[in-house]
Amino acid sequence: MNNRERNRALVESVLLPTIFLTVALLGGLRVSAEAGALVFVPPPLVTLILAAMLLALFARGGAVVVGRWLSAEHAVLTNVSHALTLGALFFASAQSFNSVLPERGLLRWVFSFFFLWTLWQNQFAAFDARRLLRGLAALFGTAFVLKHMLLASLYEPEGGWLKRLAGVVLEGATLGTLDARVFAPATGYVSFFALALYVLGLALLPPAPGGETAELIEAEPAPADDKLLAPGEPGSGARAVASGSRRPDSITEG
Amino acid sequence: MRHRLIQSVGVAWTCLFAAFVVWLYAAEPRSVGEVAARASAAAGTYEVDRARFEAGRALFLREQYAAARDEWARADPASRDARTQFYIAYSFYRQGWGRVYNDDALFRQGLEAAARAAELAPRGALAVEDPELKIHTPAELKAELQQGLERTTDDFNPLKVFRERK
Repeated sequence: MNNRERNRALVESVLLPTIFLTVALLGGLRVSAEAGALVFVPPPLVTLILAAMLLALFARGGAVVVGRWLSAEHAVLTNVSHALTLGALFFASAQSFNSVLPERGLLRWVFSFFFLWTLWQNQFAAFDARRLLRGLAALFGTAFVLKHMLLASLYEPEGGWLKRLAGVVLEGATLGTLDARVFAPATGYVSFFALALYVLGLALLPPAPGGETAELIEAEPAPADDKLLAPGEPGSGARAVASGSRRPDSITEG
Repeated sequence: MRHRLIQSVGVAWTCLFAAFVVWLYAAEPRSVGEVAARASAAAGTYEVDRARFEAGRALFLREQYAAARDEWARADPASRDARTQFYIAYSFYRQGWGRVYNDDALFRQGLEAAARAAELAPRGALAVEDPELKIHTPAELKAELQQGLERTTDDFNPLKVFRERK
């Protein structure tokens, strides 16, 4: 076992689950504004649905080739290790959504709806893993700014007259459903760290474990939008990469 | 062989860390100090800070109930000691008791603490032998607090003002 293989095994079996479980821990952590007490918010149902959709998107975009992570050809220990990593990814995704969704009120449902809409639309879009990662970083970044900067400043108890006025106007326009729970500024820092860690984990996550990616590209039939070529036809994989429908990074990376 | 070792360590570490995360969300500690206290309670090595407990009792006897509860909360940060929880419940009772009417909010908090004390008592039985107290078991205290919260025709009895605080 050379250094490259050992490091890869360490990343896949130890580092990635640690990163994703840390995100799962921090994603639901809030610090109350009154007493500075820790508040643990378990993932609500909507975030579990969003996480399931996101994992489907990872599979579609080629960021995670499920058949390579979990396979009857692997030893039991290998499958268990991979299943734990994917499980940790699922809960980290759920808690990342939990971290950027407002706690209650109309805005929570608006945010949830936009997340659902975005993820649903993306299920039918052409993707590669790198673009997907960039898109997710932008999605979580926007939600983070809206929740932890805009809304937090709007509902800040010591907010200026403009903030208070905006709060009153918005509340009146929405029949009081814009009620938001105020947390200490530390919550924003925790959320930022959790999201940064989540994106780092996604960047480290290989599409297939153990550096099988190159072989995978060779052996795997072309994706749905490359149906003009028969699966076994020579050059189908290379043409798919050239046309951009297959991830070019998956050949060089992993 | 080494790959298997890394995977085994990874599986064990992931399971441990996941269990820790689940435990944190289930136990809901309110501070980092409470995390340590609850962890030691789970490991069976938890002990109440006796000095703080006695300081809280001294405040309680001087009728400084809020300060006493603060001391007891520090003495028993994980809320795992039946005796301390009993005293906390008692402090809510004494603070909330009134000759004409009781403070329902304090009585409710007292009821919660008394229920915790009853739950934590070894084999469900706890008797606090303290000559300064007139109620000695969580069950009696719970009954007293529940009675104080109920609305009955006795509430309009003018002789009620002569009743005694326990």
